[in-house]
Amino acid sequence: MKRPLLWLLWGWMATVIVAAFHWAPLAEGFLGQSSRILFFHVPMAWVSFVAFMVAGVRSLAYLAGRRTERRDQAAAAAIEIGLLFALLATVTGAIWARIMWNSWWNWDPRQASIVVALLFYAAYLALRAAVADREARGRLCAAYATLGLVVAPFFYFVLPRLGFTLHPEAVINAQGKVEVEPRMLVVLLASSAGFTALFFWMHQLRTRLALREARLLEGSD
Amino acid sequence: MGGPTWVTAVNLVIWTGIFLYLLRLERRVNDLERER
Repeated sequence: MKRPLLWLLWGWMATVIVAAFHWAPLAEGFLGQSSRILFFHVPMAWVSFVAFMVAGVRSLAYLAGRRTERRDQAAAAAIEIGLLFALLATVTGAIWARIMWNSWWNWDPRQASIVVALLFYAAYLALRAAVADREARGRLCAAYATLGLVVAPFFYFVLPRLGFTLHPEAVINAQGKVEVEPRMLVVLLASSAGFTALFFWMHQLRTRLALREARLLEGSD
Repeated sequence: MGGPTWVTAVNLVIWTGIFLYLLRLERRVNDLERER
């Protein structure tokens, strides 16, 4: 990415941080300042979903098109970063739950579904580490991550809605309406956009590093 | 300095640290690719 664009991202996220704590109002029905965690928790969960979808699309391209090292490494990089963001979303969610529900963990459907999603994608990394042959590993991992195109939307959007949940209603409610105070919505969308850009930067860097690493390993064989 | 101001300052420091780390990584990857 171009250097001025990166500094723009720094400024964008710095503004989001200041706005989240000083411009956006507190949400009704939340204890103290706890609703401010929403501006980081929701975008982190969103980015983890985007990352898993990127991995799925790259893997599908690997299986259906040319089986290049870049596609394989790009899928793996997306899953690594997706796991990081999913973990951060889980931790920020647990902090919020401690404040609101007086308990870090309640096995709420949303908490359970993110744990299963984490396990599903952690298994991808285990699979990757278990197969030594490069082509077999690429093929198996691509098939697994392509399966994620169905599994991830189920864990993120379907499973949490199947049972009773204490989790606050999603930004877009069951009637398809956005019921969020306008200033909160602005900060939330700005934060989501910033986190998404950050993901694509990290993803591009991780892919390039992984390709370099793979070439070095090839050279040492 | 208390409450939200303190948390804002901590968040800004963390974000700046992550940003500078990624920027340095970007420069190093560029150098590595140029050496090749």
